[in-house]
Amino acid sequence: MSVDAAQNETDFPIPTGVFAQTVTSVHHYTDRLFKFRITRPASLRFRSGEFMMIGLPNAEKPVYRAYSVASPSWDDELEFYSIKVPDGPLTEYLQKIKVGDTVLLRKKPTGTLVNDALLPGKRLWMFSTGTGIAPFASLIRDPETYEKFEEVILTFTCREVGELTYGQELVAAIKEDPLVGELAQGLKLYCTTTREDYPFMGRITDLLASGKVFDDLGVAPISPETDRGMICGSMEMLRDTKTALEGFGLTEGSNSRPDTFVVERAFVD
Amino acid sequence: MTYVVIDACIKCKYQDCIEVCPVDCFYEGENMVVINTEECIDCGVCEPECPVEAIKPDTIPDAEKWVALNQEYAEMWPNIAEKGDPPADADDWADTPDKLSQLSENPAQQ
Repeated sequence: MSVDAAQNETDFPIPTGVFAQTVTSVHHYTDRLFKFRITRPASLRFRSGEFMMIGLPNAEKPVYRAYSVASPSWDDELEFYSIKVPDGPLTEYLQKIKVGDTVLLRKKPTGTLVNDALLPGKRLWMFSTGTGIAPFASLIRDPETYEKFEEVILTFTCREVGELTYGQELVAAIKEDPLVGELAQGLKLYCTTTREDYPFMGRITDLLASGKVFDDLGVAPISPETDRGMICGSMEMLRDTKTALEGFGLTEGSNSRPDTFVVERAFVD
Repeated sequence: MTYVVIDACIKCKYQDCIEVCPVDCFYEGENMVVINTEECIDCGVCEPECPVEAIKPDTIPDAEKWVALNQEYAEMWPNIAEKGDPPADADDWADTPDKLSQLSENPAQQ
């Protein structure tokens, strides 16, 4: 049934005021996670770390959901990293897309996880869980991130080991990348799991509180003088990591008032 | 789930929120902006942008009142997708509490 629904999507006209783009690749990581890439509208400008509203041409009034652009602002395609929600109004259909299918994009990228919303600092921490790694997948492929920060640390926590693959492959590929590879040699990826056995385990907030994350990485604890933070994950993770960073003396900023850390609220798990 | 604009916006109308809304769901009155609660996607990007903390999630204690007010005026006022200039005396009103009596029901002159 659902395959038919996907094939019928072209029966609906493309709504006005949106970009209609073509899927160029799809990669499934687990039964819950997949990545896809689409063509990029020639007129689209966005800042690495921003999100856009994505939909499918499968209804008169398509359902749109916020998706962080996982590719950097210089890339000639757009990449997205998604969960598959059973009966999810969008992801139920989105998870079935194939190369050549059409994806709709509303035209206004936005978001708070951008370098512009942080005051200058020496070390940038990116805290992610699950598909919350997506905006950081964009930022760690952007040379500007390494121009602004001497040291970049990405933490990535998932329930199971297989869910870490996207982040691990991404960071390995970046180190070999001709454009940012040399800049990103110091990029550190700190993966932990909360359910399945893995060398590093635990919620990032617990590891920050105990100081284990600093010991494991061999770095100094977070200080408002040198450190900046970005947070993207589940609602609970956002709340607790925000509290942890405030405990280190950091203050939440925004586009209009940059400060020492920023939070992405648009994330949906 | 939606965000709402509360009375702290009245006579300040800084409009930093307008720039970041991905779905352009703000509507503009003479001295305040409101959110169309049926169009808001609850992304929260606008919340930290407001210099007077006038944007709140609908989980605050008296949210019902603000959801009703936002929706009522969103249906009366014009949509605003691009930031304009704040009122000249916006800063004078930034610290004034309980500004609801100052609300103008008139739509903005766009």
